[in-house]
Amino acid sequence: MNSIFSEPFFTVLFGGTLTASTPIILAAIGEDFVESGGILNLGLEGMMLLGAFTAFIAALITENVYIGLLSGMAAGVVLGLLFGYLVIYLKINQIVAGLGIGLFAIGITSLLFRILFGAEFPVIPDITDKTAIPLLSKIPYASSIFNQHLITYISWILLPIAWWVLYKTSFGLNVRAVGENPAAADVHGVNVYRTRYLTLLFEGVLAGLGGAFLSICDLSFFVFHMTQGRGFIAIAVVMLAKWNPAGIFYGAFLFGICHSLTYGLQILGLDVPREFILMLPYVAVIALLCILARNTRFPAAFCNPYERE
Amino acid sequence: MNLIRIGSKQAAGVVIGPVFAILAALVAGGIILLIIGFNPLKTYYELFSLGAGTYLGITESLKRMAPLLIMSAGLIIVFKAGVWNIGGNGQFLIGAVLAAGIAPLIMDKLPIFFYFVVLGLLGFIGGASWVCIPAILKAKYEINEIIVTMMMDFIAVNFTSYLVRYPLNAQPGLFPQTAVLPIEKRLPNISLTEVHIGLIVGLVMVVLVHYFIKRTALGYEFRFAGENKKAAIYAGINIKKVIVLAMLLSGGFAGLAGANDVLGIKGSFQAEWNPQYAFSAIPLVFLARFNGFAVIPLAYFFSFLSIGGEFMSRAANVPVFFVQVAEALMLIFFGVSEYLKKRSKLF
Repeated sequence: MNSIFSEPFFTVLFGGTLTASTPIILAAIGEDFVESGGILNLGLEGMMLLGAFTAFIAALITENVYIGLLSGMAAGVVLGLLFGYLVIYLKINQIVAGLGIGLFAIGITSLLFRILFGAEFPVIPDITDKTAIPLLSKIPYASSIFNQHLITYISWILLPIAWWVLYKTSFGLNVRAVGENPAAADVHGVNVYRTRYLTLLFEGVLAGLGGAFLSICDLSFFVFHMTQGRGFIAIAVVMLAKWNPAGIFYGAFLFGICHSLTYGLQILGLDVPREFILMLPYVAVIALLCILARNTRFPAAFCNPYERE
Repeated sequence: MNLIRIGSKQAAGVVIGPVFAILAALVAGGIILLIIGFNPLKTYYELFSLGAGTYLGITESLKRMAPLLIMSAGLIIVFKAGVWNIGGNGQFLIGAVLAAGIAPLIMDKLPIFFYFVVLGLLGFIGGASWVCIPAILKAKYEINEIIVTMMMDFIAVNFTSYLVRYPLNAQPGLFPQTAVLPIEKRLPNISLTEVHIGLIVGLVMVVLVHYFIKRTALGYEFRFAGENKKAAIYAGINIKKVIVLAMLLSGGFAGLAGANDVLGIKGSFQAEWNPQYAFSAIPLVFLARFNGFAVIPLAYFFSFLSIGGEFMSRAANVPVFFVQVAEALMLIFFGVSEYLKKRSKLF
C-alpha cells in the first residue's frame, strides 16, 4: 500500500481533479447564462455528449485536437439552437424539450458509434498536448497542477470573464433582465428572443467544448453515454453557485476531487469496492445541494416561455 | 348537438396529437436511417413485422408491456402532481435487486401467492426508498428534484452493481448474478399464453391509477397541485404532502416494475443489467397526456417497437439504439404537436 503522502497519489489527485472539473466548469458557465436568462436547459447533458462524440470522430479522422474541439463546439451549437427553437419559438415545455434532446443525443451517438465501429472502441493516437507552465510544473507533489491541457487554463480564465460579462456589461444586464422580467425588458427595447438565443448559442459552444475535452483531451476514446450525468452535475453546480459564475469553481472543483479520488484511492490500494468510490461525485452533489441550495431564489421568469403581447 | 361536437373534437384531439408526434418521429427517424445508409421503408417493415407480426414478437411485446405499464402508472401520478421524477431507471434497479436478493430466502417458506405479494411489496418499497431523499429535499427545501433523482439514478447503478458483485453474488468467480429462481418460483403465465401475469398487474395498475387521479379526493389534490400550485396552497392543500406522496408512489411503481421483470422474465439480477425503461416510459406518458387508458395502446406500440428493434439488431444490422432515437423524437414532436394545437386550434 502506498503512503497517503506519496508523490504519485498527489500527482493523480491534483492533476485529476483539475482535469475532471474542466468540462463541468465549461458547461456550467454556459448553463449559468442560459438560466440567468430564464431558461432551464436539461439537454445540457446531450449537448456535452454530442460534443464529445463529434469531437472524437473529427479528431480520429484528422488526428488534430483543435479540429476535434471545434467540431465538438459546432455540435453543441447545433443542439443549443435546436433547443432554442423548441422552447423560445415553439414555446414547448422546457423540461420536455430538454429531456427529449438529452435522450436523442444518447440514442444518436450510440447508434452512430455502433454503426461506424461495431463492437470496437478505437483510441485516438496521442494528440493531446499538455501545456506545462515553466518552473511551476517542476514543483514536487504539485507538478500536475501546472501541467494541464490548454483548455483547462482557458476554463479558469473564463470564470472571471463570465462573471464580468454577466454582472458588469450591458449584455449581462440584458440577460438577467430577460430572466427576471422579460416583458419589462422588452418594453425597454431588449430583444428577449435574441438574448435568449445568444445565451443558448454561447452554452452550445461551451458545453460542446466541455464534451470534446472529455473525449479527446482527458481521454482519447468514446464510450456510450460517456458524460455519465456531467450535464446534470453542471446544472447542480450552477444552482450551488446561485447563478454567480464566480461560485462555479467550487462546485466543479469538488466534483473533480471526488472523481479523481476514484483513481487516487486505487493508487493507495485501499480495499474499498470500486462502486462506492464511483458513487462519490453523485453523493457529494446531493449533499452539497442539501447544505447550500435550500430555498434558492430562482430567476423570476425561470422556465416560463415569453409571449410577446 | 354542441356537446357531441365538443366531445368528438376532444376525442379527436386526444388521438391526433400523439398520432402526429409518432408519424413525425418516424419520418424524422426515416431520414436519419436514409442518411446512415439504410432503407427506411424496409427497416420499418422489418421493425413492425418482427415486433408485431410474429407469434414470438407478439408474446415478447406483451411481456415488455408489463414494466412499461407499471412504470407509466407511477409517472402519471407524479407528472399530474407537477413534480418530476426522472430517476425511474435507478428506482427500477433497486426494486429489482431487492426482489432478486430476498426471493431465494423466502421462496420455500411462503405459500406461492404470498411469496409474490411480499416480493412485489419489497420491490415497491425498494423503489420508493430511492426517492425518499429527492422527495424530502423537494418538499422541505425546494431543491430541484430533477437533479436529485438523476443523481440517485447513478448511485443506484453503482450500488446495485456492488450488491450483485459481492453480498448477493450467487456464483463468485463466474459472471456475477443473484441466485437464479427455479421456473416454478417465477410468475405463472396467463392461461393459454406464454405471457406472464405481470401484464395483468400492469393493466390493473394503470387503470387503478387513472381512477385514483380522476375520482378520488387525494387524486384531485394531486391534479390541483399540478395545475396551479399557488391556488392549491391557497385552497389549503398540503403541497408538501402531495410532493412526497406523489414521488414515493412513482418510485414505488418503478420498483414494482423491477420486481416484475426479475420474477417474470429474468429470474435473477445480473450485473450490468439496466434496461432503462424510464427513458421509454417518459415519452410514453406524455404522448398519452397522462391518461391511463391512452397509456395501454401506446405501451403496446412502444413494446413492439423495442422488441422489434432488439430482434432486428440481430437480423439486420440496425442497432437497437435506433428505437431510443425514435422514442426521443416522439417526445420532441409531442412538444411540437402541443404548439400546433395551440396555434391552429385544429385539434
